Amino acid sequence: MTNANASGTRGLMHEEPLLFERAHRNAEAIALPGIADDTADATLADFLRRTPAGIPGLSEPEVVRHFVRLSQWNHGIETGFYPLGSCTMKYNPRVHEHLVRLPGLADVHPEQPEDTVQGLLALLYRLQQALGEISGLPHVTLQPAAGAHGELTGIMMIRAWHDSRGDHQRRIVLVPDSAHGTNPASAALAGMRTVELKSAANGQIDLDELSAKLSDEVAALMLTNPNTTGHFESRIADICARVHEAGALVYGDGANLNALVGKARPGDMGIDCLHINVHKTFSTPHGGGGPGAGPVAVNDTLAPFLPVPRIEARDGHFVIVREDEHSIGPVFGALGQVGVLLRALAYIMAFGREHLHRIAEDAVLNANYILHRLKDAYHVPFPGLCKHECLLTDKLQNRHGIKTLDIAKRLIDLGFHPMTVYFPLIVHGAMLIEPTESESKQTIDAFCDAMLEIAESCAKGDIEALQQAPMLPIRTRLDETSAARRPRLVWKDDRN
Amino acid sequence: MRFLPHTDEDRRQMLETIGVSSVDALFADIPERFHLQPGSLKLPPAASEAAIVRSFRQAAEANRHAGNTRCFLGGGTYHHFIPAAIDYVILRGEFLTAYTPYQPEISQGTLQALFEFQTMIARLTGMDVANASMYDAATATAEAALMARRITRRDKVLLAGSVNPRYRAVTRNYLSRLDGDCDILATPPFTTDAEALAQHIDARTACVIVQYPDFYGTVYSLAPLRAACDTHGALLVVCFSDATAFGLIEAPGAMGADIVVGSGQALGIPMGFGGPHIGLFACRQRFVRQMPGRVCGMTEDRHGKRGFVLTLSTREQHIRREKATSNICSNQGLMCTANACYLALLGDAGLREVAARSHAALARLVQSLPAGVQAAAGPRYHETVLSFADQQARERFLTAARAADIFAGIPLEHLEPGLPARHLLVATTEMIEQADVDEYLALLEQYA
Repeated sequence: MTNANASGTRGLMHEEPLLFERAHRNAEAIALPGIADDTADATLADFLRRTPAGIPGLSEPEVVRHFVRLSQWNHGIETGFYPLGSCTMKYNPRVHEHLVRLPGLADVHPEQPEDTVQGLLALLYRLQQALGEISGLPHVTLQPAAGAHGELTGIMMIRAWHDSRGDHQRRIVLVPDSAHGTNPASAALAGMRTVELKSAANGQIDLDELSAKLSDEVAALMLTNPNTTGHFESRIADICARVHEAGALVYGDGANLNALVGKARPGDMGIDCLHINVHKTFSTPHGGGGPGAGPVAVNDTLAPFLPVPRIEARDGHFVIVREDEHSIGPVFGALGQVGVLLRALAYIMAFGREHLHRIAEDAVLNANYILHRLKDAYHVPFPGLCKHECLLTDKLQNRHGIKTLDIAKRLIDLGFHPMTVYFPLIVHGAMLIEPTESESKQTIDAFCDAMLEIAESCAKGDIEALQQAPMLPIRTRLDETSAARRPRLVWKDDRN
Repeated sequence: MRFLPHTDEDRRQMLETIGVSSVDALFADIPERFHLQPGSLKLPPAASEAAIVRSFRQAAEANRHAGNTRCFLGGGTYHHFIPAAIDYVILRGEFLTAYTPYQPEISQGTLQALFEFQTMIARLTGMDVANASMYDAATATAEAALMARRITRRDKVLLAGSVNPRYRAVTRNYLSRLDGDCDILATPPFTTDAEALAQHIDARTACVIVQYPDFYGTVYSLAPLRAACDTHGALLVVCFSDATAFGLIEAPGAMGADIVVGSGQALGIPMGFGGPHIGLFACRQRFVRQMPGRVCGMTEDRHGKRGFVLTLSTREQHIRREKATSNICSNQGLMCTANACYLALLGDAGLREVAARSHAALARLVQSLPAGVQAAAGPRYHETVLSFADQQARERFLTAARAADIFAGIPLEHLEPGLPARHLLVATTEMIEQADVDEYLALLEQYA
């Protein structure tokens, strides 16, 4: 089988030294505006910096070429398929980059008078309304800077609600063992104790286990639905009812909202509070790690506890509310990651009420298609319908000495970014594949062909290429063990 | 739908492979009563790209912005010059549309840029190491307090009253759900008294958090705080709001800080109504395993070639779960690249010049204030508090300034409720020209 996705050559791919290894000139690279006056203020004399920081100043052509070369060592969604499960790497519309750079949106100071930013506030308010409608949880804060930050915010609100009822003993958060690592970490940061729920044999919430762990000390269940195995928790209504009967609330991790958007609403199912990763479902670029944004949507129960500041509409104009009696207070230094949020609004506007559900439909179609094309070649730990991502393992390949990591690295040589590996933790050798709605059938078929080629090589015992992979990128497998044992986190000119 | 590649024929073939008759069959695991009718959500109808652009442009044009005003606003966000090359670099799809670099072999671009960023931030702040960023300065300050608690195993955090009120509020909020204290220490009006603050440090103190230059722009010596921290085994946490300051004034690391946090917005990132900005986080080498957030390290590949990876991940949530040093997962990755690109374009000399010009504009302004207006006393970088005779005088001036397209400052009571409404927090950068200073002064003369 030949693979048409990788050229097998790197052609003009350059090595590029560190900025610090280029000639260190103290020349000023840029002519600056403003007032040149070195003698301005003698009062600072005692505080002047004695030795320069050691920032290499390079000419603009050198700097641009440096970063362009670095960029060429990177894979992005614009370069190719990026099936990272749980990460929802979908296409990021280019027009969004244009929109957020309009001067009236980009060059605006957060402390400008409110009447000079009404246009911007109107857009953010529209996003609040849209997210409330899509989630079925009408009250929204835009403040959290990322998904994990949204989790922290949500758990803080749930805690505040219990406290407002005098339930100060409710300090336990139940977290399934399949959950994202951020869930227990966020709960801990909110001053809560986490208790792990062991998943049932099918990877879903075990209702008996849930009931056994519920008590008058439990504040909330944190739930991801579809869960991290890619399956919908069909007994969601029963789960929420049991939690509510026990006096606790249900926190929804919205990382997997792409499976539901426009098709069903977490709020309708009994979820009380949900964060939404707009850098997943609503297509804002991941930027190599961020910035994201993690708005939180809540029902009427939790509305009084939303963070401030927040935007409200009053008599045809918009105000920023900065004080509110029951609010948990601010969790971020500004109203939110505004530029990220604006991109999300543009994505929602493009689909509109007619087409929004087609995001989930194509995402789920693509994941199930991959599952069906690969299910005979790879072990499927939890058979049945999947939602926006499908879960495989390396069980069949293990007998040939090949593990998930080898499969992932071999995909790179075959021209694909690997899937998420070794997550969720409840499955040995997990491979979590999320194609999103952005990919064509042709791309998905090529990926499946590559996966089948790998499985076939294993079956034939032809495993050298797998163990050596990746061989084509600018670097082969990197020594992560010694990186962690002896951390070198900054460049030292004299010794490295 | 322009973002969805499938044709109906593609969908039909795929459904056939799966063995179901319709897309809806793929949602059969969701109880029927939760299914939405397509089109039933109360959302606006689908908009064309042209319509979306029109709508955003109308909204943008309804705002005033730094391009059509003179901006003397600060308080944590500053209007510095941003070279066009930065935007070009971060618009490269390979940077813009990559995920967190989990697969290092195909993410060396992001990783090397992070390593360069970490190095530059460590050097700029005078610290040993820096991480790959936090959300913003406020959350970075909160995380620094948590880190100091872990390192010292003490639970009392002292927070100077001259720290940016937004950073204070978020830090207090983060700490309020945990055991222990977070005491806000009063400071004299519009300055920081390091000697007085040092008196509060004792054997229960995990850290003292000060801002340098402080929220009011005042520059002062950290030496008394360093000495008291040494005496009592506490940590000195220093935050800042404009990283360009350290092109001109001494870095906090050189004055003995243990953890330094602040905003990198001034280093090539638009004001953007408060975000996305970037939180910078630097510390001493010996504390590195207690640091929150992602961090990039240097290593080798199988052929001995230098390469970079995310490292020290055993501190992080995806491994340590509830015992992690932080819950942070996404950071401000793209802004790290923007910061690194900005610093490389300026270098030591350019950065010093940005700082000197930012400082010079304010010095010129303060030098020639009319009799009725006082600036806060003491050495200052590029920000200060102007005090007017009364609220009426300030409002007269602000109204006249707005009419002249000048955002003249932030009424201080907006950030510190309770203060009399006669103070203005004023900041300058290299974007302020002599003519702007002259006009500002003329308006003060006439209306204050």
